[in-house]
Amino acid sequence: MTDLDRIRQGEDLPVDFASIEKSLSEMWRNENDGSADAVTRAALWNVIAHTNNDGDRNTATETLGRASATVPQRSIVIRSALDGPAELNSWISANCHIFSGKRQVCSEEISIVAGGHRVRDVPSLVNGLLIPELPVATWWIGDLPSQQEEYVQALLAPADRLIVDSVHFDAADDLRLLSGVAAGTQTIPADLNWIRMEEWRLATASVFDHPVMRGQLPHIRKVRVVYAGEGGLFGEQIEAFYYAAWLSGQSRHVMGEGEEDVQYRFDRAGGKQTGSLLQVEIELKGGGRIEIGMNDEGNAILATPSMIDLSQPTVTSYNQRPPSALIVRQLSARQEDPVFHRALASASTIASSRSK
Amino acid sequence: MTAVANVLETNPLREGLDQERIPDPSVLVIFGASGDLTRRKLIPSLYSLASDGLLPSGQAIVGFGKTEFPDQDFRIAMREACDRFARRRPTEDAIWNNFAQGLFYVQGDFTKPDDYVRLKERLAGIDQQRGTAGRRIYYYAVPPQFFPAISQSLGKEGMVTDPEAGGPFTRVIIEKPFGRDLATAKELNRVAVMTFRERQVFRIDHYLGKETVQNLLVLRFANGIFEPFWNRQYIDHVQVTVAESIGVEGRGGYFESSGIVRDIIQNHALQLVSLIAMEPPVAFEADSVRDEKVKVLKALREFPLDNLADTAIRGQYGAGSIMGDPVIGYQAEDSVDPASRTETFAALKMYIDNWRWAGVPFLIRAGKRLPKRVTDISIQFRPAPYPLFRKVSRVTTHPNVLAIRIQPDEGISLKFDSKVPGPTVKTHPVTMEFRYATSFGAEPPEAYERLLLDTMIGDSTLFARRDEVETAWAWLDPLLRRWETSADQPFSYEAGTWGPGEADQLLVPDGRAWRRL
Repeated sequence: MTDLDRIRQGEDLPVDFASIEKSLSEMWRNENDGSADAVTRAALWNVIAHTNNDGDRNTATETLGRASATVPQRSIVIRSALDGPAELNSWISANCHIFSGKRQVCSEEISIVAGGHRVRDVPSLVNGLLIPELPVATWWIGDLPSQQEEYVQALLAPADRLIVDSVHFDAADDLRLLSGVAAGTQTIPADLNWIRMEEWRLATASVFDHPVMRGQLPHIRKVRVVYAGEGGLFGEQIEAFYYAAWLSGQSRHVMGEGEEDVQYRFDRAGGKQTGSLLQVEIELKGGGRIEIGMNDEGNAILATPSMIDLSQPTVTSYNQRPPSALIVRQLSARQEDPVFHRALASASTIASSRSK
Repeated sequence: MTAVANVLETNPLREGLDQERIPDPSVLVIFGASGDLTRRKLIPSLYSLASDGLLPSGQAIVGFGKTEFPDQDFRIAMREACDRFARRRPTEDAIWNNFAQGLFYVQGDFTKPDDYVRLKERLAGIDQQRGTAGRRIYYYAVPPQFFPAISQSLGKEGMVTDPEAGGPFTRVIIEKPFGRDLATAKELNRVAVMTFRERQVFRIDHYLGKETVQNLLVLRFANGIFEPFWNRQYIDHVQVTVAESIGVEGRGGYFESSGIVRDIIQNHALQLVSLIAMEPPVAFEADSVRDEKVKVLKALREFPLDNLADTAIRGQYGAGSIMGDPVIGYQAEDSVDPASRTETFAALKMYIDNWRWAGVPFLIRAGKRLPKRVTDISIQFRPAPYPLFRKVSRVTTHPNVLAIRIQPDEGISLKFDSKVPGPTVKTHPVTMEFRYATSFGAEPPEAYERLLLDTMIGDSTLFARRDEVETAWAWLDPLLRRWETSADQPFSYEAGTWGPGEADQLLVPDGRAWRRL
């Protein structure tokens, strides 16, 4: 049984961190020695997942393994524990998937576990493991770090994209940090929480497609956004802030309390998926009203405007996407999303004003 | 492109969404709604568009056909069709129920003017109910002999309007075949423009809706590296293969009056040739792209009718086997004349007489009952100008080939020679590959989805224009007439092979061979 056979069956192969690349090369070279069972080694991205504990490391491994079925990638999963014992260990493995019923395509995965003072060696190790010419995404799992600035900067230096999930943020400052990445570096920030909101954007947009509804955007007066939460985590509000920031930015209206300003209200309610939107109510000048919410089955978002005589609401398909699908969605977009860029800055402002 | 800009101007909430292009709601009337095309392709494609959030709320679809169907029965039948054929499966109740509210059926006879009066009244009612404001798309999913009657009745009943005359839009989608020769194509076009303006006519060739075909333009014109080599200086020849493993599949009667040249080469294969050979358009918009495609067709060298065997070979499959299963020969198929001379295979050596392609053969082959279903374009480059390695005994150089796989396993590969590692100079051809499945994962949309959406938006870039169709027929007509009047039989080939040996011989004098696929 070859090394590749073993890791295709789910084994992690321990390797000396100084010879990771060599071990990978040898593994593929052996595989190509006359085997009829052809395997394609593929990568479109370098994806670095940074975690601080074994639980998150396992989540990252599993998520990127699934994501590699759609976006082949070299995954580098780091578990770093500055407070732990000094260590630097590495493993290699592969995520293989069958395409078109016959072709087996494998993505490489490298795991690095670092602790104590050896943590500072991680950025240089990772830099040496990146496949040249491929874009680099760094997925930072958990809260954004406000300490270890040098370490974080070194890890982010090669990143074309920084992926976070703001539902885990614990303060408005985290959004500000993310917004700062957008403003002050070449790294494009991306948020899985923004992707979760796509169907809500689509459902809202579909109401304003109708010729009768065109021209109504400037007449929005009040918006109420209801999100699922228990009040324990700051991040549970952020999707609602994004929604408000997006609607306000795209409609070019001003949030506030002035006569012509649009008033926004954020309400929390119970729900299975903490942080997700549950309902949106939009009031228009002249009394028109739009209600947007999930259907009973939870697989569609219904948007119902009160002022046009259509027999049915617009219906937008909704599937709660697993983290791997959110990662795929992020990696599938090769360029910066200017709509997110604008919404992020505005959501950061909303978050700051509400946390005062 | 203009249409997209307009959508964003009117709804900025669409910016950045995959569903940026949303048309105004309209009523799509399908003539021939009880047919196979409606069940297998049209309604499943429309449902998938709805599922992807690409249909506007209020969009209505009206089936018109001879079969008696209450709306509810039509909806049930179409739900079953979506369950079987839609890309988005399983069908989701929430999406379907909303989609089905816009599905209607009108029973009628294409040839009876009174039935159009009823249709018109029904459409007016739907306008009120769905907010479609008189916008119409008529889909002719019927044989071409019904086109004139339908068009004339629609015109007579005032069911065709035009924004330039101050009304809502009306568009008509016509399915191939666009005639069976130049004269019938011209007649069809003449009838169409009596009722519609050319810009209202959308001639659908579903090949143009395939992602891989659209990618030909991106490959050529979005990348800097290919265009400098895309000419007679560097390209030895181009091969286009459109192979089907199926036979006539119960359509023997249709195929007898058609043949592979009319069925595949006049439309699909020549569309591929046009896209490969065209000059860069001045803009990525309908008429600019189609202008360049027509120029290619106009530059096709006429067939040397006194010496056809050097440029055109026709074949007909006999009994054989496909993937191990025995199959009957063409003449034994249902509704086929036992002495039929209809071609089920054709191989053509054609030249494009213009500055870019002078002397470069374009080799086309298309056929039924070939070993596998595959559509492939191969650009074979000229050898290196000086054979540096010719004195090294173990070196055999191979031509560089850029292969574009249209279907299945869509992708692009580039073959080149590489040194085999070791102390001696030995070479071996290797391949760099791009595959849609591995790079983009997600299944591409059905061609009909893209084309239906484009029609609703009013973007005709991926549809054949009148002069395109007529120019293609003008080039093929002499060949088809000669074959029809000739007493010669098509060459026979065994089902499951790559056509008659004569097709191989077509390339031998030039030292070329068909690429093994």
